[in-house]
Amino acid sequence: MRYATILSLALAVWCVAWACPAFALTEEEINNIELYQRLAPGVVNITSTVTERDLFMKAVPAEGEGSGAIIDPRGYILTNKHVIGSGKIEVTMADGHRYRARLMGSDPGSDLAVVKIDAPEERLTVIPMGDSAHLRVGQKVLSIGEPFGLGKSLTVGVISSVGRTMRAANGFLVENVIQTDASINPGNSGGPLIDSSGKMIGITTAIFSPTGASVGIGFAIPVNLARKVSAQLIQKGYYTYSYLGATLMSLFPDVAQALKLPVRNGALVIEIAPGGPAERAGLKSGNRKERIGNDVVISGGDVIVSVNGVRVDGADAVLREIHRLHPGDRVRLGIVRSDGISKIVSVTLGERPRDTKTEQP
Amino acid sequence: MLIRLRFFTKCSGIAALILFACIGIVPTNASAFTAEEIATMRAYEKVAPSVVNITTRLCEPGYFFCPVPTMKGAGSGVVLRGDGLIITNYHVVYGARDIQVTIPDGRRLKARVISSDPDYDLTVIKVNAGKKPLKAIRLGDSDALKIGQRVLAVGNPFGLGETLTAGVVSMTGRTVKDKGKVLRDLIQTDAAINPGNSGGALVDLSGDLVGICTAILSPTGASVRVGFATPVNRVKAVAPGLMAPRPRNTGLIFVILLTLLVLGSIFVRRRTDAGSDDALQLSREGEKEQCATRQS
Repeated sequence: MRYATILSLALAVWCVAWACPAFALTEEEINNIELYQRLAPGVVNITSTVTERDLFMKAVPAEGEGSGAIIDPRGYILTNKHVIGSGKIEVTMADGHRYRARLMGSDPGSDLAVVKIDAPEERLTVIPMGDSAHLRVGQKVLSIGEPFGLGKSLTVGVISSVGRTMRAANGFLVENVIQTDASINPGNSGGPLIDSSGKMIGITTAIFSPTGASVGIGFAIPVNLARKVSAQLIQKGYYTYSYLGATLMSLFPDVAQALKLPVRNGALVIEIAPGGPAERAGLKSGNRKERIGNDVVISGGDVIVSVNGVRVDGADAVLREIHRLHPGDRVRLGIVRSDGISKIVSVTLGERPRDTKTEQP
Repeated sequence: MLIRLRFFTKCSGIAALILFACIGIVPTNASAFTAEEIATMRAYEKVAPSVVNITTRLCEPGYFFCPVPTMKGAGSGVVLRGDGLIITNYHVVYGARDIQVTIPDGRRLKARVISSDPDYDLTVIKVNAGKKPLKAIRLGDSDALKIGQRVLAVGNPFGLGETLTAGVVSMTGRTVKDKGKVLRDLIQTDAAINPGNSGGALVDLSGDLVGICTAILSPTGASVRVGFATPVNRVKAVAPGLMAPRPRNTGLIFVILLTLLVLGSIFVRRRTDAGSDDALQLSREGEKEQCATRQS
């Protein structure tokens, strides 16, 4: 009995002694360390040859550099389109192994691309995808990448805002972009943004900066979009968007009041793409400029107030509803004309042109 | 006795095992938010409705020296009182021809300057909140701030829209010089503060206002994680009498009581002929200065 007592006491003492270094770190620090150790092998460095023009407009090959996240045990790697140049793509794993990668497809609308490497499965650490629909401002995010090509780096911050809309390089709008104050610098592009439970919630893509380096304002493409896009890129090499062919502006109560519209919220149609689904359905765009407060508004167009019976309070809400549907789907838009008449218009959604410079949705 | 001992040893053994298991579990328990995340999210949700975006149009002398409205400035502000009293930086509204405030529910309201304190770069502006009152922020105590304590900045950097950034208190009681102007007793933080954050809130993890983001030290003009905030205790001093929550006239008796109180105080003041209130004078001076800058 005495032995048992001594043994259990010794065990308890050993436990406390073993745990002491762990207690020296806060819960927050332990979480960061654990996530980095677990997921860093799933982040790869991507280099590719990008053709740049020199002073005399001659094509000069230059090295593009960024990060990527392994999303599938078959060797699929998710990254940004702007990381991938036109030439050969090389992937360097965390353990130093280098692989030639094949481009599966890229989507300029969301600035995403998928490349594939032929590496044995046991060398691939997959970063699991989470859900970006229920993110909260203030929750912690970790960014793993290779800023300035320095080598693997971890930066930590909080979500600064959710639901920002960002314009991709080709003019298309990316919605529900995640903004963070974690330091994101050139070279972090394509790397994963991870939440405190170790799930990828975004792909770090852009920064807002007058200096070219982090000023605490970084943006990530939400993983819910990346999941849809990457699946199609792997499957067929491109991503199809449903397309309405109208440029919208959110209507605020004071703007609606100034324009003497009978609604308070909605999406004002300010431009319509010729030959697009919206034009065929008879939607009307704005035709005159009006100054309200400090803004200029193009007025006279229809106001979209509902999509398939769901009330929408702004342009983003319309986009969200449209993007949930597929090309070829019929959609019922509740509109209010500039003369105050309410109508329901039925539109057959098209496929968003893959090379146009026109905008949403 | 023997049985008891045995029970005890069993218990201690189990306790040790449970302790061991707990220690084993703590580092890997990563499925939910950490305590710090929860505190940050709660503080943001508390503060967000009280931070407003401010856009201004400035007037600059054009050709022929007539004022031409040109530049558009952006900044932030913090709601002090539900009826639309907002504190912001003096430099956000300095020389502004037209101040527009966007409140978190999307309404855009016109604001006018109430009082200013250029020495501490603070200005109180007022919007007409109408039927829906704004949510006033709770004021904390900036003297109680500790270096290393976590602080959150909520503002409108670069006019992007409402943004949360987090950091710690790097130092308190800082004095910085900017173009010959000296700002004293500032809180220094490593939370990312950028142009447009000016006038925004710096809060602690319980969501209480501890400072107004005012300046940054940067060779580039954007955040290098050296930001400064005017302590909230200075805010309490610059807006005297405006801090107390105005009683709501919920009942007739209440209104009558209030009227009696006001009449009584006027009566007493006239009788005693008390000297002018220091604080009141400060706000009047501020107003005068504002008028002067508008005329120039």
